[in-house]
Amino acid sequence: MNYLFIAYTATWALIAGYIIVLGKRQMSLKKEMKQLEEWNSEQ
Amino acid sequence: MRQENLFDRILLYILIPSVFILLYLIFIWSPVEKIMGETQKIFYIHVGTAWVAFLAFFVVGFYSVWTLIKPNMNRYIYAGISAEIGVVFTTITLLSGMTWGRASWNTWWSWEPRLVTTLILLFIYVAYLFIRKMDGSWEKIAKLSSVFGIIGCLNVPIVFMAIRWWNSKLHPVVFGEGKNQSGGGIEPEMLATLLFSVFTITILYVFLMRKGAEIEKMRHIVKKSKNKLINKLAS
Amino acid sequence: MKTILLDALTIAGKDLKGELRSKQTIGMMLVFSALVIIIFSFAFDPTSNTVKAIIPGLVWVITIFAGILGLNRSFVSELENHCLTGLRTAPIDPSSIYLGKVLANFSLVTSVQLISIPVLFLLFGYRFTGSYLWFCCIVICGTIGFIIVGTFLAALAANAKNSEMLLPVLLLPLISPLLIAGVQATRIVLESLEITDAISWLKLMIAYDFLFLAVCFLLFEYIMEES
Repeated sequence: MNYLFIAYTATWALIAGYIIVLGKRQMSLKKEMKQLEEWNSEQ
Repeated sequence: MRQENLFDRILLYILIPSVFILLYLIFIWSPVEKIMGETQKIFYIHVGTAWVAFLAFFVVGFYSVWTLIKPNMNRYIYAGISAEIGVVFTTITLLSGMTWGRASWNTWWSWEPRLVTTLILLFIYVAYLFIRKMDGSWEKIAKLSSVFGIIGCLNVPIVFMAIRWWNSKLHPVVFGEGKNQSGGGIEPEMLATLLFSVFTITILYVFLMRKGAEIEKMRHIVKKSKNKLINKLAS
Repeated sequence: MKTILLDALTIAGKDLKGELRSKQTIGMMLVFSALVIIIFSFAFDPTSNTVKAIIPGLVWVITIFAGILGLNRSFVSELENHCLTGLRTAPIDPSSIYLGKVLANFSLVTSVQLISIPVLFLLFGYRFTGSYLWFCCIVICGTIGFIIVGTFLAALAANAKNSEMLLPVLLLPLISPLLIAGVQATRIVLESLEITDAISWLKLMIAYDFLFLAVCFLLFEYIMEES
């Protein structure tokens, strides 16, 4: 039972980790886009 | 763009309920194996992730060949994201395989062909991602990484064969099955759960792939327009 | 085909001539392999009986570690003074550059092996009882495969800034089947077991050599195309 718990925790943690990484990329992209828009409007 | 969004949404609507159904099937519906007990339930996720790990590698090889024939940004991005997801799933496969091995054979690691092949596969994936981290134009990196992807893909079956021979104590077995890990016959409920798990994890893979590729494409677009803007401001 | 081979020989000759003049790479490789032997003799007591078990592995560890040193140099040294650009623009087939480099690296590594393997046996006090012919056959087949993949990946890694670090990471997973086959076959020959088992490993190595030679030969032009 214990090992079952370990295996499933590791699995979901890794998948969640990858989704978080993707989310972070998206966030930084959004930030960059906002900055671009600001530059564009300044111009 | 609309159409793609719709497809992603449908994928998500399939994915979320199937994950819950999968958990239900694994933990409540499927029967407990008599010899191994509860730990046998690792099997479902292990097989599913292993399948996706090798599928992702196949996809990398496929897009690598395609990129070499006709260089295209999208194919290059798909190959990269597939490799990234492959790393995640290969790690999961290794970890779940190890815990299972610990539970049933009382060792964390055994030099079993499938296990070792998966480990080598992980290293090939990581090496592939290292190549993609090189600096230079994307066309150049696309070419270099595709070449490596093809060679790596060719290598995997050879690794598997070599390790199998190695394990069979120097008496090569080319054809025929190795020892069956699932321990003889499989009950229909178990088979159904297993198939459903493979299905769900494949959907997860497709979903992650689409999301990752979309972000990566956006990143290239943003980079391009940023450069354009900077040039404009400078002139 | 004939011109490709002739061009390859020219390039190999150029590399070897340069190497004979400076003797830098080969000297480094020799010293390095000697050091590896010494380090291993500290790690595993050479006077005990375990030596017999690790000798086959050591033969290959020396080859691969020293070989990686040489492979690193083979393309990075061409970057100086833009020699690689010169080679690329020369009116020759890119595959002949590859074949030439394979030939040059192969002769480098074999000449290092010619010295380091006897030294290994000598320092570990190992009495050779197996068949010399089969032993040479296995070592040569394994080395060819290693050089075929290694030269290709060295050319690939030369595009990166940190190519010295990148090359082993790319190379070692890919040559793992070759290493398994090489070590097992060497062990069988050195312990004078049944030679038929070694032959099936040898067949695996030869198949690996041919497969990767063909694939690398075809794909090499994609690496060379631009920088």
